[in-house]
Amino acid sequence: MLFSRGGGYRLRAETDAGDGDIVRAVLAGDRERYAELVDRYRDRYARYAARMLGSKDAAEDAVQDAFVRAFDQLAQCQDPNKFVGWFFLILRNRCFAEQRRSKATAPLQAADAIATRESADEVAETAERLRALQHALLELTAEQREVFVLKHVEGLSYQEIAERLSTSVPSLKMRMHRAYDRLREQLREHT
Amino acid sequence: MSEREFHPEVKRLLDGEITIADLPLELRAEGEEALRLLAAVDRSLIAVPAVTWRVMAALERRRWRRRFVPWLLVPALAVAALVLWIVRPWTPERVASRDAVTVRFVLVAPGAQHVSLAGTFNHWDPRATPLVRAGSGDLWTATLSLPPGQHQYAFVVDGTRWVPDPTAPAIDDGFGRRNSVLTL
Repeated sequence: MLFSRGGGYRLRAETDAGDGDIVRAVLAGDRERYAELVDRYRDRYARYAARMLGSKDAAEDAVQDAFVRAFDQLAQCQDPNKFVGWFFLILRNRCFAEQRRSKATAPLQAADAIATRESADEVAETAERLRALQHALLELTAEQREVFVLKHVEGLSYQEIAERLSTSVPSLKMRMHRAYDRLREQLREHT
Repeated sequence: MSEREFHPEVKRLLDGEITIADLPLELRAEGEEALRLLAAVDRSLIAVPAVTWRVMAALERRRWRRRFVPWLLVPALAVAALVLWIVRPWTPERVASRDAVTVRFVLVAPGAQHVSLAGTFNHWDPRATPLVRAGSGDLWTATLSLPPGQHQYAFVVDGTRWVPDPTAPAIDDGFGRRNSVLTL
């Protein structure tokens, strides 16, 4: 379910009615119902993957691959009602693996594609800020970028992120605060 | 604290714990700089509508592969072949048409790392329909369910080389390339 807060959409995954029913139906043999879950979450998680990987194409591949893997492992989803939180971890692993694999490639060019495409109708200054921030985000470590994306793009609270990543709020804050400083440094160098 | 680091109070502002009005005057400018950073965050969704079809097609392809592994390994397939099947796997067309025909596309591509299919049925998207290597050899296959009618297509080898199907008739696409034609 999507709802808006502070100008951004956020996830309220844990109470998403219906996921559990669909998962149980798929496990019982109704494979085609899996498409409902893919429809429901693909765009939202493509956003997460795109911000993590810096490319819409890479994000699309990652989301597709994660859904296929999730299907393969669906029987291991211990609480079908929390499918989306479980799926997120699969996608997250896929994104981190992709980042390790393609560290030597040039994601910055891809980042331009994201920012430019989505801000074509906006004023040039806003578009430039979007692009500059996306560049700067890609200069963060994957862990720093992830906490920034989950908090400021997905709109999750520190507590929700901590639960999702099985870590503590203080360690997330430390990671985030380093990210703020690094972003400031990058943006000042850029401008 | 370095000039490049945000003040701890400004970090609280970025975390949403305080508002800019809570900052002392000497930190307001830094606070505004921080808020400009957050204002540049791109929260727009990324629409990937093809993912649903691609996921379900991938699942279906693998089910087929499991069912027909012995057939795929028949060594007699030394040349490209195209085989029609009257079955009905999951595709959007299945809903729209009860007469969908399942078509198996096969290409022998020695040395290829990746082979896909682009055609009128997938908007000529070379990423939409990857072929699967049969075993460890040079034989690549993909099974699609297509509606009756005429379809044009080509194989895309390693993402750059467009290859017409050697077993199917071909026509000029008007841009100097040959498209294969399949009529169902």
